[in-house]
Formats: sequence, C-alpha cells, structure tokens
Amino acid sequence: MIYKKALSFIIRDLVLATSYKFEFFLRFFFMLFSILTFYFVSQLVGGAGTEYLEPYGGDYFSFVLIGIAFSGYLMTALRSFSESIRGEQMMGTLEAMLVTPTDTSAIVTLSSLWSFIFMSFRVLMYLVIGILLGVDMSNANVPAALLILILTIICFGSIGIISASFIMVLKRGDPINMFFMSTSELFGGVLFPISVLPEWLRTISYLLPITYSLSGMRHALLQGYSLSALAPEITALMVFSVVLVPLGLLSFKYAVKRAKMDGSLVQY
Amino acid sequence: MRYTIETHDLTKRFAIQKGFADFLRHPFRKDEMSAVYDVNLNVKSGELFGILGPNGAGKTTLIKMLCTLILPSVGTAHVNGYDISKNGGNVRRSIGFVTSDERSFYWRLTGRHNLRFFAALHNYYSDDAEERIDELLSLVGMEDRGDDKFLSYSAGMKQRMAIARGLLNDPAVLFMDEPTRTLDPGAAQNVRTFVKEHITGDGGKTVFLSTHHLPEAEELCDRIAIINEGRIVVVGTLDELKAGLDKPDPGLGDVFMHYTGKEFERGTAPNHGYQGRKGMMGGGRHGGMRF
Ligand SMILES: Nc1ncnc2c1ncn2[C@@H]1O[C@H](COP(=O)(O)OP(=O)(O)OP(=O)(O)O)[C@@H](O)[C@H]1O
Ligand SMILES: [Mg+2]
Repeated sequence: MIYKKALSFIIRDLVLATSYKFEFFLRFFFMLFSILTFYFVSQLVGGAGTEYLEPYGGDYFSFVLIGIAFSGYLMTALRSFSESIRGEQMMGTLEAMLVTPTDTSAIVTLSSLWSFIFMSFRVLMYLVIGILLGVDMSNANVPAALLILILTIICFGSIGIISASFIMVLKRGDPINMFFMSTSELFGGVLFPISVLPEWLRTISYLLPITYSLSGMRHALLQGYSLSALAPEITALMVFSVVLVPLGLLSFKYAVKRAKMDGSLVQY
Repeated sequence: MRYTIETHDLTKRFAIQKGFADFLRHPFRKDEMSAVYDVNLNVKSGELFGILGPNGAGKTTLIKMLCTLILPSVGTAHVNGYDISKNGGNVRRSIGFVTSDERSFYWRLTGRHNLRFFAALHNYYSDDAEERIDELLSLVGMEDRGDDKFLSYSAGMKQRMAIARGLLNDPAVLFMDEPTRTLDPGAAQNVRTFVKEHITGDGGKTVFLSTHHLPEAEELCDRIAIINEGRIVVVGTLDELKAGLDKPDPGLGDVFMHYTGKEFERGTAPNHGYQGRKGMMGGGRHGGMRF
C-alpha cells in the first residue's frame, strides 16, 4: 500500500513539475554548464594536487565530479523538505493532507520523493557526461555504491526533515539549513580532499555525514573498493542513520503538534 | 456514545502576537485570547447542525479542533466516539472536511488528479479510487470538467470539488466551514439544496456547518448554535430559539440581538488581522453555475 501512496505523491509532483515545461527543460540544460566548468578547472590544475588526490585515484576531474554530483543530494534534502512543507502550509494543502488518516511522517517523507528521483537523474547524467569526458569507472563496485547511496539519502533526508521541522515552527531562519549549507562545501570534501585542511579543522569534517558519503562513493566508483574496504564509511553512515532517522521523525511530529497548538498549519 | 459529536468545556486560547516594543517591555508576559470558550455541544446522528456567528466568533477554530487540525487548550470532544486529542487517526478516518479556502487544492493539476491524490491519502487506490471519483464527480455535477485544470474552475466549481473531496472516504460526519462564503446567491442556494438533499437527506450523514449568513442557517439547519466571541450563547431548533422572544415573528437576527445585546452585523469581534484574505474572492462574477 505504501508504494501506491508513494506513487501518487510522485505522480502529483511529476505532473506539477512538467506543468512548468520550460523550467523543467532549462534545469536539465544548465546542469551541463557546471560540469564543464570543473572540467576546465581540472585541465588547469593538471597533476598539481596528485599528492592529496592519490587516495582517490589521483585525477582531479574524477574527484570533483563525484563531489558535485553526490553533494547534490544534501542540497536537495535541505531544500526539498522545507520548501514542500512550507509551500503546502502557505497554499493550504497541508491542512487538507493532515485531515486524512495518512501519518504525518509518511506525508513529510513522501513529499520529497520526487525531488530525490529528479536528483538521481541528474547524478546519472553527471556520471555519463563524466565518463564521456574521460573519467574511468570501469572498476566500479556498483552494489557497494548503491548501498552508500541509500545510506546517504537516509542521512541527508533526515537532516532535511529536521530542517523542515524548524521551518514549520519558525517559518523561516532555520539553523539546521544554514549550518549544513555553509559547512558542507568547506569541510565535506566536495571540491578538494579534506586532507588539504589543517588537522584541527579536519575534526569538523569527521562530524559531517557528507564526508563519509563522498569518500565512500569515490572509493566505490573510481577504485572499486570491496565492501570490507568500505567498512569505515559504511559504518559511519549507519551510525548517523540510526541517530538521525528517529530524530528527524520525532522533530517533525513535534513540529506538527506545535503548529496544531498555535493554529498555524495554514499560515503565510 | 449517544451523540455523534460531543464536546465538554472545549476551549482554545491563542497567544496574541506581540509587537517588538511590547516584547521588550514585558518579555515574559504572555497575552492570550480565547477564540473558543467552554463549548458544550451534542450533535445527533443524521442531524444538520449549524453554528452561526459573526466574523471572528470562533467558528473555524471550533471546526478545526473537531477535525484534529487544532489542539484544544482545555476540554475534550468526541467525534464518532473517538477522542479528538487521543485518537486523532480514527477521527480523521471517519470525517470529511470542506473549507471555503480555494487554495487548498493544487491549481495546476486537474480536478481529477487532485481527487486521486487525496483519495490515496485516504488509502483508496487505482480502481476503487477511480470508481469513487467518478461517482463523486457526477454527484456534484462536475463529470464534464473533471479533466480540466483546477485553476480554470469558477468559485462555484471549486467549492463543488471541495465537497467532493470531503466525501472521498464516505465519512459519517462532514464538517463544512462556511461552504457558501465565496459564492454568489444562486450558487449558494444550489449548495444549500445539495447539502440538504444529498448529504444529510439520502446521504444519511451528519453535517456540522458554520455560517455567518442568517438566512442560510434558517433554511438549512435542524438545530442552530449561536456563537459570539468564542462562547455558545444559545442552542436549539429555529422554533425553540424564537420561542424565547416576545417579539412577533422574530428572525434569527432578533434572536442574536436578544442573547448578545448586539446587532448581528455589528457583532464582529476584533479580528487580529489573521485571516487577511477575506473579500478577495469575487465569487459574484461566476453566475449561472448550478451550484
Ligand atoms: N492561529 C491563530 N492565532 C491567534 N489568533 C487566532 C488564530 N486563529 C484564529 N485566531 C483568532 O481567534 C478568533 C476566532 O477566529 P476564527 O477564525 O475561529 O473565527 P470565525 O468565526 O471562523 O470567523 P470568520 O467568520 O471570519 O471566518 C479571532 O479573533 C481570530 O483572530
Ligand atoms: Mg472562519
């Protein structure tokens, strides 16, 4: 039953997204530009960072391609939950949804499903274009990469739900979003390996799930690490999931309750 | 449970939003206002129960509490035997809620898409849902327009879709918050006739409806509760309400005057600027609808 419900959310969002046909098309088109930018940056960098890049195969373009592709899931998570909940709250559709027997956790989770599917298409396109531009993924351990992907989505999704809870109560100015948006690029190893950072700054990196996602993803896709070689990253992501999933769902339940106390399920 | 809807001392207090200066002067003082105060009502099965009051009287707050969308501050209520605070899931399974808020639909989807989505939230899928949706579209006279986008509908058609949505799960109780607010007189009359004939009449449902329109309450309701500044001032059938008055052939306006000492129209409580979108919806433009 839950998959049928999930499907109806996806259909709703797909129809809504394609009803803005032009934007839909543009989003795909402009995606190509950022990849090309980094392609040329990597031409410039050449072999300069090899020392730092060695653990990931040594090539900067491959490194950064995985970084921007998969960090997109974090951006999607931080944006989609809070935007969809806030949007529905302003439109008045949130109330119409909450007057049905469907659980609030199901509602918040499913309302971002489409964004993650769209993001996955994007990542797939990134990877295909990367391969066309010479990235070597012939050794990739695809099952391991998928496992890391699932854990990544679970962790990032929970962070997104916590952020949406703040938005629901505070309406704007949510600290979770600001924290992850501002720290992830710098400390998460998106554009450069964290080994470049001074050691005391690197401790922050180890507190962010994105660090383990990206490092695991690179090892799995570029170097074809086995599951056992990926154990540190996988374990870290599992620990984050065990903490973040209940935290996310509880905080959203609490946020809905607060909104029902304040009478602010519909507000703008 | 003898009654379909039962409330005991149901009360809702809202914090009054303070300005920044106020906040600096008294940072810990919390100002509250009672939007709904000590409401005790019993509604029988199959009854068409109306709650009549001026703007800001607390009608929407009361209905939303009964629909589990707002939590009460004090008091309890049971709907279909389920406690609204402790057993919200079962309450929601057994009720429908119709707002006059046109925005509670996805405007860029068709009417049918909208209903399909909300049917899924009620756990109706595929063929079951499709059958139900066809039935409801023809019940509200929208079978020809179901596949048009919601944004192309007139106010009357939007309201019909809202009613169709409220009936998706075949609820025992239908809550309707000012269902005719955005409609012109003709369309409003059609909604009233529809509710009377198809929802309570052969639909056999209990309807709990709010209105600030005196003739609507008179025409439609088996029993009427008059609400003013959050308090129920009197409950009864139209005849019972009028019986208390010594004026010959009194109307509901006179009843309101008798119990509150105020003219109905001027009885408006200060509205804290909350529902700012009233009056924007020119329902009057859409004449000629069957609703
Ligand atoms: N979320 C809220 N926070 C603070 N005050 C609120 C809130 N919702 C309603 N109120 C206040 O509670 C009172 C009752 O509001 P309510 O919306 O229930 O009235 P109503 O009878 O439905 O009025 P109308 O005919 O205008 O729809 C009003 O004074 C309103 O300003
Ligand atoms: Mg109201």
